[in-house]
Amino acid sequence: MSGAREAVFTVEDVRFAYPGGEPCLDGLSFDVLRGERLALVGANGSGKSTLLHILDALFVPSGGRVAYLGTALSEEALASPAFGPRFRQEVGFLFQNSDAQLFCPTVEEELAFGPLQAGWAQGEVLRRIEDTLALLEISRLRSRAPAGLSAGEKKRVALASLLVLSPSVLLLDEPTAGLDPRSQSLLLEILEALHARGLTLVTATHDLTLLPHLADRVVVLSEEHRVVADGEPQRVLADTELLLAVNLIHAHSHRHGRLVHTHPHQHVVAHDHGHDHHHEHGE
Amino acid sequence: MAGLPEWLRPGARPTGRPLGAAVGDRVVRRALGAIGRALALLVVETEPSRGGPLRDADPRAKMLAAVGLIVVATLLREPASLAACLALPLATAVAAHVPARRLVPVAIVAIASAAFMLPATLNVVSGGHPVLTLWRPAPGNLGPWRLPAAVAVTGSGIVVAGRMVLRATACAALAVLLTTATPPQELFAGLRSFGVPQAFVMVLSMTERYLAVLLQSARELHLARLARSVAAIGVRREEAWAAAGVGAVFRRTRVLADDVALAMASRGFCGEVRLLRPARWRVGDWIVVAASAAAGAALLALDRGLA
Repeated sequence: MSGAREAVFTVEDVRFAYPGGEPCLDGLSFDVLRGERLALVGANGSGKSTLLHILDALFVPSGGRVAYLGTALSEEALASPAFGPRFRQEVGFLFQNSDAQLFCPTVEEELAFGPLQAGWAQGEVLRRIEDTLALLEISRLRSRAPAGLSAGEKKRVALASLLVLSPSVLLLDEPTAGLDPRSQSLLLEILEALHARGLTLVTATHDLTLLPHLADRVVVLSEEHRVVADGEPQRVLADTELLLAVNLIHAHSHRHGRLVHTHPHQHVVAHDHGHDHHHEHGE
Repeated sequence: MAGLPEWLRPGARPTGRPLGAAVGDRVVRRALGAIGRALALLVVETEPSRGGPLRDADPRAKMLAAVGLIVVATLLREPASLAACLALPLATAVAAHVPARRLVPVAIVAIASAAFMLPATLNVVSGGHPVLTLWRPAPGNLGPWRLPAAVAVTGSGIVVAGRMVLRATACAALAVLLTTATPPQELFAGLRSFGVPQAFVMVLSMTERYLAVLLQSARELHLARLARSVAAIGVRREEAWAAAGVGAVFRRTRVLADDVALAMASRGFCGEVRLLRPARWRVGDWIVVAASAAAGAALLALDRGLA
């Protein structure tokens, strides 16, 4: 399926440990291809968020190498005028905690932050702000303070603050966490439209229900912080043993009269923008 | 899953330990609430006042005017000229429709400096003619000191204390007017244009963000504490909780502030403050600077004339 597409990110034997802590990534290797939708799935603490921080060059791996379009991500590369600004413009990172991502006094200034740092002209910045606010249906929030918005609105503003830069790659950390169904549905719709435009999407999630909407390919991280599977969502979702082993589904007890039996419980909610729900119980 | 313990059921309480009324910690709660509101006033409500002469002024003009008048305030000696110096920013604030609550810090500075200067009004600290006798102690010594015949407020003591209070309050009013009429990011950009080093302005900018994050964490912790307050726990334990709470807030905010810094870096922050609508120096800005210079000169002349 990947064909001869260019590798946007190349991850080679990446290791990472927080200072004084246990390793939280242990020898990961994979490529992210241009235009693909890759989901990083794993249980809490498996290292998904850390990996996204490394892909965005916010953390430096303790070992191994990460390259963006063939250029190794390093402090020197990011300090280079030829690479650093281009990388920051092309790669957007949607943080799990929107409060950390929104730090300007108004929504408008929040959207303007990246383009102004990139040194774009004021007219261009204002035009893009207008378009992005309209796209995400948040024009009415333009002069509001981000701190006073609802979780769904904050998430949309955070996404808008990335889209205004015309990124080629979006790194999404649990993008639908804490959102109500309507906000979640709108977000998924926007992400599908962005993917249709050719954006590369890398999503960290432990929510398997999102995979049909967010991924063409799934990389599974184990609780031992290693890649244990890499393939199409249907194949990964069908592998109950794997999902049990990496703590993405749980064993579920049932009582039928005097008989108690246990089987894996897997929710796969197949819905078009959140309308149809279907629950599966794998045996 | 392990079985539920026996005590985990509705209505279960430990035996022999009646619940106290949850009233003992009201003071701490109120104090925390007040600190939160004060911080909110300082760091969250950054929207500048709308309308009035300061609305569109260039931040550099406002900074020049405010700093110049603060320097003048430190040079004034006469209470009347200091009072005029205090009246100037207050009148400007009224003309600029600055909400009264934004001037609360000025009142706090006035009250705090008055409390600090209170002993200076007494004859035991400042000499001078007594104008009000407060106490006539019996003759004797207090340790190595001989007790005075009377403890009284003196005229010169009132002048000294009044001068300090007026000076501190005038400076506070000018600083508050500047920060109220100018969003922090514009102030930082103004500082950069005056040649203040980038590293210094960046630290100021991050501090301003950190205060907002700190406030949010303190509020959340306070609410979590309220939600779990079953009964009064006594002043000692309340104090211990407050101390532990401060530590927890700082730990939490450090983590969140780190995330904010990463988010800024992720969007290309290069340490320079850049504004969507950068200020442009206009004729009106010359008028602001000239008017403040004239006011400063007039205050100095008034002061010298009264001396």
